[in-house]
Amino acid sequence: MSMGEVELSCLAYAKMYLHASQFPRCSVNGLLLSSSAAGGAVCITDCVPLLHTHLSLAPITQLALTQVDVWCSQTQQRIVGYYQANACASDSSPTPCALKIAEKIFEQCNNAVLLMIDGEKMFPGCRVPPIVMYERKDARWALKDKHTIMLRQWEETCSIVNQLFSSGDQALLVDFDSHLDDITKDWTNQKLNAKIMELVSPANGNV
Amino acid sequence: MSSISELYDVSWEEMRDKLRKWREENYRNSEQIVDVGEELINEHASKLGDDIWIIYEQVMIAALDCSRDDLAWSCLQELKRQFPDSHRVKRLAGMRLEALERYEDANKLYDSILQDDPTNTAARKRKISILRAQGKSSEAIRELNEYLEHGLSDELTTTTLSCSYAKAAFCLEELMMTNPHNHLYCEQYAEVKYTQGGLENLELARKYFAQALKLNNRNMRALFGLYMSASHIAASPKVSAKVKKDNVKYAAWATSQISRAYQMAGRGKKENKCSVKAVEEMLESMQITMS
Repeated sequence: MSMGEVELSCLAYAKMYLHASQFPRCSVNGLLLSSSAAGGAVCITDCVPLLHTHLSLAPITQLALTQVDVWCSQTQQRIVGYYQANACASDSSPTPCALKIAEKIFEQCNNAVLLMIDGEKMFPGCRVPPIVMYERKDARWALKDKHTIMLRQWEETCSIVNQLFSSGDQALLVDFDSHLDDITKDWTNQKLNAKIMELVSPANGNV
Repeated sequence: MSSISELYDVSWEEMRDKLRKWREENYRNSEQIVDVGEELINEHASKLGDDIWIIYEQVMIAALDCSRDDLAWSCLQELKRQFPDSHRVKRLAGMRLEALERYEDANKLYDSILQDDPTNTAARKRKISILRAQGKSSEAIRELNEYLEHGLSDELTTTTLSCSYAKAAFCLEELMMTNPHNHLYCEQYAEVKYTQGGLENLELARKYFAQALKLNNRNMRALFGLYMSASHIAASPKVSAKVKKDNVKYAAWATSQISRAYQMAGRGKKENKCSVKAVEEMLESMQITMS
C-alpha cells in the first residue's frame, strides 16, 4: 500500500454500520482508530462509536475525545479519523461540527480522514460501500479519490454484517452516549469485537 | 321512552351548553353525556354547526365508558370521515380498541402516530395506560420515565440546536421554567452554555451542571460537565483567587464522585474493565495538569 491510500477493516466498517443502523433517526458519529505505525498508508483497524444525540455540543465530545485518547495510549492505537452519519439520509455532506472535530484530529495526525456514511446507500444488497471520504488538502477537506480507498473482502464484510443482524448481536453495540446513560456498559465494545473477529474467516488475518 | 328534552323540558341549545360545560370542566359523568349527547346528535345535528365534531369526540369517549360500542363506533366513523388523517382521531380509535381490550391493535395505532410524530404525548400516555391495564406496572413506570425524560422537549431542542446555540438556550430556558425539576433540561442548558464558551457562559454552565446534579445525583453527563467547566474556570487567568479556589474545590468534588461511580460500575464486570481503566487514567492525568 502506498501513500494516500486508506484501508478500512471489516471490524471498523461493521461497527460504524451498526452504529448508524441502531439510531436511524439520529445523526451519529465516532472516531476511527489505527493499530499500525504512523507514516505511509492509513489502516483503519477499529472505531469507537461516540454519540447519537446533540453532536454539536462541546462538553461530551471533548470528554469522549480525551477518554478515547487515553484508551488508545493504553492499547497502542492512534486516532486517525472521524466518521459521521447524518440523520437526513439524503445529505451526506460534512456538517460544521464534523469539520471541527476532523480539524482537531488532523492537528495530531497529518493523514487524518473524515468519513461520511451515505445513508442512501445503506440498504441490503447494495454493491458499493456506503461511504464518502475526505482528506486534508490545501487547508481544506477535499473528496478523496474512491480508488485510494481499500475495503478488503467487501462481500465477506457485508455477509458478516448480515450475520450480526440475524443473530441479534447488532444490539451489543455500545456508544459513548449509551455508556453515559449506564456506565456499566462498555464503549470499547470488547464483547462485540470478539463476536466480529470470530466471524472474520481465519484465512484472511488482515481483514 | 321520552326524550331528554321532554323529560327535563330543555331546548337543544341548553343541551348543547350543558355538554360544553361538562367538557370545559372535565366532568366524567359519562351516562349523562351519552344520554344528552346521543339525542343532540340524532335530533339536532344540523343545528350544531362546527361544534358537532367536538361533541362527537366527547360523546364517543363517554360511550366507551358506558360500554356503548355502537354509539362510540358511529361517532368515530363521523370523525374519521371528516378528519381522515388526523392523529387526534387515530388516538380515539386507539381508545376504542383499548376499551375492547384489543391492546395489541391499540398499540399498533399509537406506534404509527409516534412514528409520524414522536412528540405526540397523548399517544405516549395511552401506551402507558395500556401497560397499567395489563398489570405491567414496572414496564409502565419505565415508559413513564422515558416519556418524562425524552419527551417533546428533545425534538424541540434538537431542531433549535441545528439553527443556533442562542435559540437552543432560549428554548431550554423556557423548558426549565415550566419543568423546574427536570434534571435533563438543566444539564442540556449547561452543555449549550459550555459550547458557547467564554468565562461568563462557563460559569453559568457550571451552575447548571451543579443544579442538574442536585436534581439527579446520578447524571453522569452533569458530573463530567461540572468537572470540566470548573476546571476550565479555575485555569482561567481572568478569575480572582477566590473564584479559582472555589472551582478547584468543585472540580475535586466532581472527580471523587466520578471515581466512585466508576469503581462501583467496574466491580465484578469483566467486560467494562477497559472503559473503567480509561476513565481512571484520564482523571489522574487531569489531576496532574490542574495542580
